Amino acid sequence: MSAPIVVIGGGVNGLVCATLLARAGRAVTLVERRAQVGGAAVTRELAPGFLVPTAAHSVGPLRADVARDLRLGEHGLEFVTSEAWMTALDGHGHAVTLWHDPARTAQALAAYSQRDAERWAAFASVRARLGAVVASVFAHTPPSIDAPTPAELWRLLHTGRAFRALGRSDGYRLLRWGPMPVADLVGEHVETPMVAAALGADGVIGNLMGPWSAGSGLLFLLQAANDSAGNAAATWPRGGPGKLAAALRAAAEQAGVSIATGVGVASILTDSAAVATTGIRLDDGRTLDAALIVSGIDPRRTFGLCEPMAMPAEFRWRATNYRGTGALAKINLALSGLPVVPGADREQLATKLRMAPDIDFMERAFDHAKYGRYSPAPWLEAFIPSLIDPTLAPTGSHVMSIYAQYAPYHLREGSWDTAREGLLHAVLDTLDRYMPGVRSLIVEAEVMTPADLERKWGLTGGHIHHGELALDQLFTMRPLLGWSQYRTPIAGLWLCGAGTHPGLGLTGGSGANAARAILKSH
Amino acid sequence: MRYDAIVIGGGHNGLTCAAYLAKAGKKTLVLERRHVLGGAAVTEEVFPGYKFSVCSYVVSLLRPEIIRDLDLPSHGLELLPLDGTLTPMDSGDYLWRVNDHSKTRREIARHSAKDADAYDDYGMAMVEMGRFAKPILAMTPPDPMSLDPRGLLALLSIGKRFRKMRYHDKVNQVQLLTMSAVDFLDQWFETDALKATMSASGIIGTFLGVRSPGTAYVLLHHYMGEIDGAFRSWGLSRGGTGAVSNAIAGAARRFGAEIRTEAPVAKILTRGGRATGVALENGDEILGDVVVSSVDPRLTFERFMAPEDLPDEFLEGVRRYKYRGSSGKVNLALDGLPDFTCLPGPGEHLRGAISISPSVDYMERAFDQAKHGAFSSRPYIDMVIPTLSDSSLAPPGKHVMSCFVQYAPYHLSPGDVWDDARREAFGDAVIDTIAQHAPNIRSLIRHRQVLTPLDIERDFGLSEGNIFQGELSLEQLFFLRPVPGWAQYATPIHKLYMCGSATHPGGGIMGAPGQNAAARVLKDFRA
Repeated sequence: MSAPIVVIGGGVNGLVCATLLARAGRAVTLVERRAQVGGAAVTRELAPGFLVPTAAHSVGPLRADVARDLRLGEHGLEFVTSEAWMTALDGHGHAVTLWHDPARTAQALAAYSQRDAERWAAFASVRARLGAVVASVFAHTPPSIDAPTPAELWRLLHTGRAFRALGRSDGYRLLRWGPMPVADLVGEHVETPMVAAALGADGVIGNLMGPWSAGSGLLFLLQAANDSAGNAAATWPRGGPGKLAAALRAAAEQAGVSIATGVGVASILTDSAAVATTGIRLDDGRTLDAALIVSGIDPRRTFGLCEPMAMPAEFRWRATNYRGTGALAKINLALSGLPVVPGADREQLATKLRMAPDIDFMERAFDHAKYGRYSPAPWLEAFIPSLIDPTLAPTGSHVMSIYAQYAPYHLREGSWDTAREGLLHAVLDTLDRYMPGVRSLIVEAEVMTPADLERKWGLTGGHIHHGELALDQLFTMRPLLGWSQYRTPIAGLWLCGAGTHPGLGLTGGSGANAARAILKSH
Repeated sequence: MRYDAIVIGGGHNGLTCAAYLAKAGKKTLVLERRHVLGGAAVTEEVFPGYKFSVCSYVVSLLRPEIIRDLDLPSHGLELLPLDGTLTPMDSGDYLWRVNDHSKTRREIARHSAKDADAYDDYGMAMVEMGRFAKPILAMTPPDPMSLDPRGLLALLSIGKRFRKMRYHDKVNQVQLLTMSAVDFLDQWFETDALKATMSASGIIGTFLGVRSPGTAYVLLHHYMGEIDGAFRSWGLSRGGTGAVSNAIAGAARRFGAEIRTEAPVAKILTRGGRATGVALENGDEILGDVVVSSVDPRLTFERFMAPEDLPDEFLEGVRRYKYRGSSGKVNLALDGLPDFTCLPGPGEHLRGAISISPSVDYMERAFDQAKHGAFSSRPYIDMVIPTLSDSSLAPPGKHVMSCFVQYAPYHLSPGDVWDDARREAFGDAVIDTIAQHAPNIRSLIRHRQVLTPLDIERDFGLSEGNIFQGELSLEQLFFLRPVPGWAQYATPIHKLYMCGSATHPGGGIMGAPGQNAAARVLKDFRA
């Protein structure tokens, strides 16, 4: 039996990593501050009989290798698949649904633009092709820049080949997409304003960016990669995201992981020379000895738990400057009935509903965040899971989960404790334009501001991706250049959360990659 | 009469390209639409007795080897220092940075001791960055999708140099290429006005805000000149920027090039996918072995050529290329010097640039208005009073002042157009803004010339008024400029080349595109 490993944080990545380490015969203890594991994958009873996805309302999708290796199906995980990818609402009685089937989408688009209908299949296929190339990079530890190993070089060559196999047109597209504003990217392929806005949202969700921000194309590309690395139609676990957490927990326990919930980590301990970890100190004063510590929590929070002198000054400075200011708020509603959405039928409503008449509306919502104010008319993505999963609400009733942007973590005036109500009003006023009368259906509502996301989930800055997904914090630079291989300057301390490559979404990708890297090195 | 090379456009890049071609013994002809040479690097007597660098007003990074190769000083080029940037602050105080590092350090310390320390680190970091970036500006961009081993080797050599850098510099380098100017500067500095005024250089000529990723890169340009030590990174040219163009034209002529003004091109002649010459608007046809266009891709390919002459995918790339002019220019003839409330009276502080960029929010708000289709009611303004260094530009005791203004979007909101009323309203907004800091300005103005992006397009042939012939955004740089796969100065049309700012490394009075393009053309001549 080799030395025991402690995993900090029982989010999706922490659980995946712990399970894979335990499967390899390691003694793994996972500590979670909250009462239950799952991190952002959690279901809760908002009002009697109403189950809401408290935090995330969709799963990555789960990366195919993670789903396969962890055999989560055997632990009760089942996905409700959906033919609809998303529905765009413009607030003026129009709804356009984008389906996973391109032909069906083209048909839907034809009502608005013949040109969009004709070009859709090509765009969908380019997105899939580019996504697949990026996804091939997602599956591995980023290479070392200073001293790449032969295996890393081989993989780079492999990626290089896949890149070249794209051909000139797609190859250049891939190079252009990342640094572009998503508004331009989408605008090159789609002209219907509400559809462009709905698609463009892929480039900004969770980031402090508007659709006209240069570099928002990157997130769009990363989401395409996620979709190609898993089953894009399977993003809702039957019974809610909490079922994913339960299945992950069951898999972890079966693999032998010992899980301690309700106990936070006060500090990561290092030896007297401050170069290697020796264990952790818990909130309750106990210490756990471990030569290997794997942190699934975000980089800034992780390094905040460490003895500062254990890290080189340059690294400390860079880590302090790691960017991650969240601007996404989460609203959950228990509804006495299904809201009326003019122009959309029931099937169109059973997917994520992205609400914006055009890209500029989203950009205006973003403008306020730059000056430390929440948007008076925020951009919204709503999902009514009870339409595809009736067990979530009493018969005839529904639950709705909403991502609202932009609500910046740093408010210039006041605090989120006083601004929370105002934000809810702004969200409901906006929602009412798309779903007239929705207010009268509300049985119960809860708002989670970025400050709440930080307090309750430990997400520093309330950033749902554990740090901005931008070109300078990606791949070999995630979280920091030279420290993308899940290691840290402190020997024995590893990272496995969304602040590492590839991050983004509840895919388990970072956790799985980290586990492999750790096993290879120890 | 048949030429070896015909260069379309007598701007500084067209002239530079022509000079190098002529120097190599090629029989070269330059065709300029206007009555004056220089393109946007031009001096004109807009009002009797008052000469203006109408568009481009500072010389930045003009390549030392071009100055040497073409012996520009013997053709009248004289660079004058433009020392310092004065930034009036909202508090009534000012920030005055000069080339003298220790002086600037003391000045910054007045505002923040922490920033003064950081200024040293920052300066050193930038010099390292400049060292890395400089050779990249000089190279013909390799094509990453081509199998040509030379291109791959060039990419590898950049990679190798990158690997050799210290960790600190590596991170900075990556950040410079990807981050926003403000995010980048935030890592070092806390003084808002310092960050605002430094970040301003990152947005010049782009349709981006100081918080937009990709704007950090241009911060570097300010430091690159220092490495040469030959001349200051930013300067004025005696006689205005037109004197730079005239010096290059003089060199070109001495090497035997022929230069015709008021000779607008109407069409690029092709036969069987090969350029054979040009047709002028007056109907004259001029034949040449190669045609090199220094005008932007929209004019070159969409105005001078027919769609059927070009491959579809290339044409799509040309159409997609973004211009989105975002700046305007206000040129003032003044009876005296402006008096700034933050630092009253005449003095050295007026001899450099004066930057209206009091805070990061101010800059970003100016951008927000433009983003939504209006000119900034309180714009970023970069002012220079060249008569303080070069009295030949105005009658005795009088002055000219050049105001570069951002943002003035080419595309206004639907229903709004750049007509005379809009132009004057824009000019008024600029004067109002200046008057907030120098109230006496109104009483000094004798004449005022206002250039909107539409004026810049019409008068200077820059599509959508973009001063760099297309946005300097990441997806339009290096091997992606101007069209992916066509960054090596050649085009899909055999014997037709590009040599303007729309090619790598882009805009500014640098001369590099013209020089790089000439090297490419000459290489093909030898092949």
